[in-house]
Amino acid sequence: MKRFAVALLLATALPAAMPALAQQPASGPQAVAQGKALYDQHCTACHGSNGTAGERAPAIVSAAISMRGARSDAQLMAIVKNGIAGTAMPAWGNRLSDGDIADIGAFIHSLRGTALDSPLPGDPAHGEAVFWGKGGCGACHAISGRGSVVGPDLTNIAAERKSTAISDALTKAEHRVYGDGGVHLPAPPPMDNETVHVMTKSGQAIDGVMRNQDAWSLQFMGLDGKLYSFARADLRSVVIKAGGVMPTDYDKRLSADEFRDLMAFLTRQGTKIAASPSGGAE
Amino acid sequence: MGLKRLFLPGLVLLTLPVLAQPSINNPGPSAPGEWAVYPGSYNSQRHSPLKQVTPANAHLLQVRWVYHVSGSRELEMTPVVKDGVMYIAQYNRVDAIDARSGNVIWRYQRPPASTAAYRGTSVYDNKVFVATTDAHLVALDARSGGVVWDVAVDGGRRLSGMSPYIAKDKLIVGVLDQPDGYIQAYDPKTGKHLWTWHAIPRPEDPEYKSWSGNTKEGGGAIWMSGSFDPEQNAIIWGTGQPNPPYSNEVREGDNLYSDSIVAIDVDTGKLKWHFQTTPHDQHDWDATSGSQVLVDTNYQGQKRKLLMHADRNGFFYLLDRTNGKFLRGNSFIDDMNWATGLSPEGRPILAGDGAKPSIKGTLTCPSTAGATNWPSATYSPVTGWLYFHAVEGCGVNFRSSVTPGAGTSYIESPEESHRWVSHIRAMDPMTGKRMWDVTEIRSNHYGPGLLSTASGLLFAPGQYGQAAMLDARTGKALWHFNTGDFITASPITYMLDGRQYFAIASGTNIFTFGLPDTATAKGGQP
Repeated sequence: MKRFAVALLLATALPAAMPALAQQPASGPQAVAQGKALYDQHCTACHGSNGTAGERAPAIVSAAISMRGARSDAQLMAIVKNGIAGTAMPAWGNRLSDGDIADIGAFIHSLRGTALDSPLPGDPAHGEAVFWGKGGCGACHAISGRGSVVGPDLTNIAAERKSTAISDALTKAEHRVYGDGGVHLPAPPPMDNETVHVMTKSGQAIDGVMRNQDAWSLQFMGLDGKLYSFARADLRSVVIKAGGVMPTDYDKRLSADEFRDLMAFLTRQGTKIAASPSGGAE
Repeated sequence: MGLKRLFLPGLVLLTLPVLAQPSINNPGPSAPGEWAVYPGSYNSQRHSPLKQVTPANAHLLQVRWVYHVSGSRELEMTPVVKDGVMYIAQYNRVDAIDARSGNVIWRYQRPPASTAAYRGTSVYDNKVFVATTDAHLVALDARSGGVVWDVAVDGGRRLSGMSPYIAKDKLIVGVLDQPDGYIQAYDPKTGKHLWTWHAIPRPEDPEYKSWSGNTKEGGGAIWMSGSFDPEQNAIIWGTGQPNPPYSNEVREGDNLYSDSIVAIDVDTGKLKWHFQTTPHDQHDWDATSGSQVLVDTNYQGQKRKLLMHADRNGFFYLLDRTNGKFLRGNSFIDDMNWATGLSPEGRPILAGDGAKPSIKGTLTCPSTAGATNWPSATYSPVTGWLYFHAVEGCGVNFRSSVTPGAGTSYIESPEESHRWVSHIRAMDPMTGKRMWDVTEIRSNHYGPGLLSTASGLLFAPGQYGQAAMLDARTGKALWHFNTGDFITASPITYMLDGRQYFAIASGTNIFTFGLPDTATAKGGQP
């Protein structure tokens, strides 16, 4: 408490003489809106809309790549302020005020956030019952080892996706989840869990959900829960259907209360990883 | 013992006659069997006379060695090979490695380490050349890695990641577009600056009037090297987009010399001719894609000096390279919505407003990522076809309501029917006819470059790491190998100790492939 008071005093009395402390993003919807305006003006040309990578620079909102996603808010803002030597990233501290940079930080924070940051309201316990019961979700998905391996595992879904992305997956026939690189995709894009039907040369018919493929082979999870890998040369036919087996009318299959509570449950599935004290992954 | 000790004399005799007179088929600084400049030879055909690997034995190809470029990221770099040594360049850095074993010979690193995109180097006069992030240009002794000269870039701007290029006795480099792009020539012996050609005209230039409006933010980034035509004594180069990229109303006019193919006298730096692929561009379609491929062959019954160019905007162009005149062209993609065709002069005929970017987003086909991009095209005199990487699908171009000149971007179209899918295409450049088409499963855009060989092969790696050898006549896959990482670089081939190698960067590694000892019989034909 004493330290805090001293720091506050110093900050009030000597703002110009203060050494560069780790800056934190501003907060509140107004800061996010201001930050978006500044971001759109100064950042999109290189980093793309909403930080998903643009024409000249990498994604800054990726969750998985340590070079990018593992940086804390303070680290990201230090980069905005000071630039990165040896790259095209300039020191914005020379052109923007600390307040502007804090607003940009607020916007980036909002982009990087996932469902777990602000889980949706409702009754998660009832949502869990819907998940395993009327919703039938466990026929394809698993949470903490319970359920099926055919579809994506949802144990950590709220730490990986925004609430809107989860809602889109449940209600929209066409929705797109970009990979870590956004437009520029430095890694393979996520598969869309297309359904696949193959007929082997020996006459065996197998249905499943795609995991990967190339021009010579394909890998899929059979609806029987077994992982299959075939050389295409060994198959008589392969039929892959876009769209997958996932129904996208849960807002109609379920009552309004059931859907709200399912979302309340799903947006709490995950483990929030705190930034390490040193803050980085390097 | 010199590294050249096992160089194959028979190969020299085989290909020497082309050196007799100035010709685009002059390999430039590359001796036979080498690949000493970014596109391999002056004509940028990326067609190798090497024949050890054939459609009949390509299935025997195996990895010869792998070199990890520590500290790098998603290499977009083409290695070069000279006198048995491979040179791998990044900003501030060159690794020299034994091209037969992958062992390091020397390494140059000037601080700081950089992972910014850099595309390679050239070897000439026992030197290799590299740009630095602090706006210097450095020549290293090819044998030791020692600095021979180190000069500040004339004008003080950092050079682009374009591979430094050797045309005749000049070292050619480029600068990006903020505010304006330019090409520069230096003396490779001393580092002396010789000339600068500005992609955005100065007031005294007749094309200065091709810009109007109250802003002139320039553009015309020079970020890819081109070709050299010894007969015209000209480098033939592509330039980048005008600025601001998507908000075109603040820069009325054609905005020359953005998005242009330009021929520049290599001795004087003076413009000889220009051809603009996308006048008044509003989608960032740089004319830098797929190389400027020079070919001497018959067109409509006459021997012609031609230039072939597949552009980021979706059109293929066949030009007379003595004057830049348009001969013919065609769209090489199925999904195009911004233009309906080309005029007799080769100017795109816009569909409506040409898919002008908007605040709510405008569907644009092809996307800003391009119908093709920097990965190299190849021309095979054996088939007479041009091979290139083509991307079907669309983007959505946005502009911001904040400032007309800023705040713009693009994304892949979310519509399933417009998703980006890469293809490898063989096209007859004289007719535009698609000879074959291979869809790259799980691809989306950019992807690797291509090369062809006199034995009828097309080295055509896949974007997600499948290095593959195709039959150039049919597109049939003859061999493949999963490198395990993204490939977005262009390949090379070279001959050493009686073995033909293919090399390409994948992720942070250089992979080389060749036939096993049993198939090469220590220098013999298989």
